[in-house]
Amino acid sequence: MDHQIYILVIEDELEVMDALVKDLEEFEQKFPVESANNAEEAEQVVQGIANSGDEVGLILCDHVLPGKNGVDFLISMESNQLFTDSRKVLVTGQAGLEDTIEAINKAHLDHYIAKPWKKEGFQKVVVDQLTSFVIKKGYNPLEFMSVLNSIRLAEALRGSQLTDH
Amino acid sequence: MKLNTTQRIGLLAGVFGLIVPFFLNIAGLSEAGHVALGIFFLAAAFWMFEPFPIYATSVLVIFLQVLLLSKEGLIFTSSDSSYSPDSYTAFIGTLANPIIILFLGGFVLAEAAVKYNLDKNLTRILLKPFGSKPKFILLGLMVVTGILSAFMSNTATTAMMMTVILPIVARLENNDPLKIGLALSIPFAANIGGIATPIGTPPNAVVIGALSQQGINIPFGEWMILATPLVLVALFFVWILLLGMFKPKTDSVQIDMSGSFNTTKNAWLLYIAFGLTVLFWITESFHGIKSAIIALIPVVFLTLTGVVTKEDIRKLPWEVLWLVAGGISLGISMKSTGLAEWIVGSIEWNTFGSITLLVVFSGVAILMSNFLSNTVTATLLIPLAVSLATSGVAGEGFNLIIVSLVIGMSASMAMMLPISTPPNAIAMSTGAIETKQMAKAGISVGIFGLVLVILYAIFYWPLFLN
Repeated sequence: MDHQIYILVIEDELEVMDALVKDLEEFEQKFPVESANNAEEAEQVVQGIANSGDEVGLILCDHVLPGKNGVDFLISMESNQLFTDSRKVLVTGQAGLEDTIEAINKAHLDHYIAKPWKKEGFQKVVVDQLTSFVIKKGYNPLEFMSVLNSIRLAEALRGSQLTDH
Repeated sequence: MKLNTTQRIGLLAGVFGLIVPFFLNIAGLSEAGHVALGIFFLAAAFWMFEPFPIYATSVLVIFLQVLLLSKEGLIFTSSDSSYSPDSYTAFIGTLANPIIILFLGGFVLAEAAVKYNLDKNLTRILLKPFGSKPKFILLGLMVVTGILSAFMSNTATTAMMMTVILPIVARLENNDPLKIGLALSIPFAANIGGIATPIGTPPNAVVIGALSQQGINIPFGEWMILATPLVLVALFFVWILLLGMFKPKTDSVQIDMSGSFNTTKNAWLLYIAFGLTVLFWITESFHGIKSAIIALIPVVFLTLTGVVTKEDIRKLPWEVLWLVAGGISLGISMKSTGLAEWIVGSIEWNTFGSITLLVVFSGVAILMSNFLSNTVTATLLIPLAVSLATSGVAGEGFNLIIVSLVIGMSASMAMMLPISTPPNAIAMSTGAIETKQMAKAGISVGIFGLVLVILYAIFYWPLFLN
């Protein structure tokens, strides 16, 4: 890869943020993790990532945040063509039905993780979402086989007209 | 486009190699031979160090020959005693050489097979008789991989088989060596299985293309008679080798491949086209219709019926056809300018025995293709072997067909490193194996492959070729 694929975490409570980042440790080497405490800070972070030619592969976002809420942030990301393909996941205990519906309809939410989460289930979601991102973008699946869902990546390889040379 | 140091060296060496012969006067080599030598240097440097993609170099080779060596080119507009230039159509015509058309037919079939899941469904059926004992599962996976890669590309077969073995690998206990055995068995069986038919892998095309320029036609079925016994023995060896090196701990393995054959009209049309084409290919010796002509059946039938669409055609691996055509085209001028003969003439071959020569060609081919593309290896070596055999300098026992087969098949026996073949790269990327495990097993296969190819060349192939 000639650029980085970031995981972006937005969470205002420090302990929760620590727990999230800890569960993401295994991915750090391949997918650097950026964190933000609120939507405004997150907007600066994604801007910085875009400016250096990198991408956001996965956004893990809390809903209730000081200032702009998580769902609104995800909607704004969805409408920015640089981040339309970024996988969007709400990690929250407090999004009401209406907010959630809005996130699905307007931000094309890819997954909803209810707090408190279990490490295994959480990591599986991260793997699946990043796998979808890599396949959607058409990146060389071989680079991600050992970290992401290798079976889905092999399936993607199979459809990609590989040849001998 | 950024080039690394190796690529820059290759670029410089290639350009330098192209230009220098223009300023030399090599005794015994025609003027056109000098030009061809320059093009050969450039092709070799670019193919080996890859400053450009290998298929791009191939088209460049065709273009340079049209420009510098054809009757319509810049230099040789009329025949003289030392060189009668070919028309440019001879060079660009290699893009429609019968072997290219044969591969096109194979590509269309393989593409359609993947589209309608025929590859996976065949795997499911073929694996059933192998039960659940680890050693037989391993054998079954290798046999199926070998069969599929004889008709599809080795690489596509490996990718498909990975979807079959990765769930098994994931369920095995962490320290079970079977994991490594499984992950190595697929690329190895695919590399070897490709040898079995003319369309199995591009080096075979290089062999058949070079021989056809000498007026020798190897029918599809005859190739299989020559190659399949070798493939079976090599697969058996790899099976024993992997079982020995990575002794399975578990005593039972479950393969859960669910699914059923696609029974839509289009899928049926594909099954019929696949079956008929393969049947006619294998029986070429009986009915005499050339395999390249038969290869048009799936192309015509599947496009007329809409089973293969415009989008599918666009996705075919055209660059492989360019690669092979570039090699065939290079062979044309090496022969017609007298370059190949000159290279051959500059070495005292008859001091070697013909068997020593075969061993040398096999060893060099295996060594080179561990680091280079298998096709490039075959392309660079075969013109030399062909002129060596046709010029007679290597003595009576040195047979043109046999030495070509030795090079072609040896090129497919290289599987020491992740970069040796694309199937190896796929297996490596799963993280289930380490490079040193692949190297250890791959070196054993390389050495065994060399011995095997030479034994067949001495004892088996002559039975059919004389």
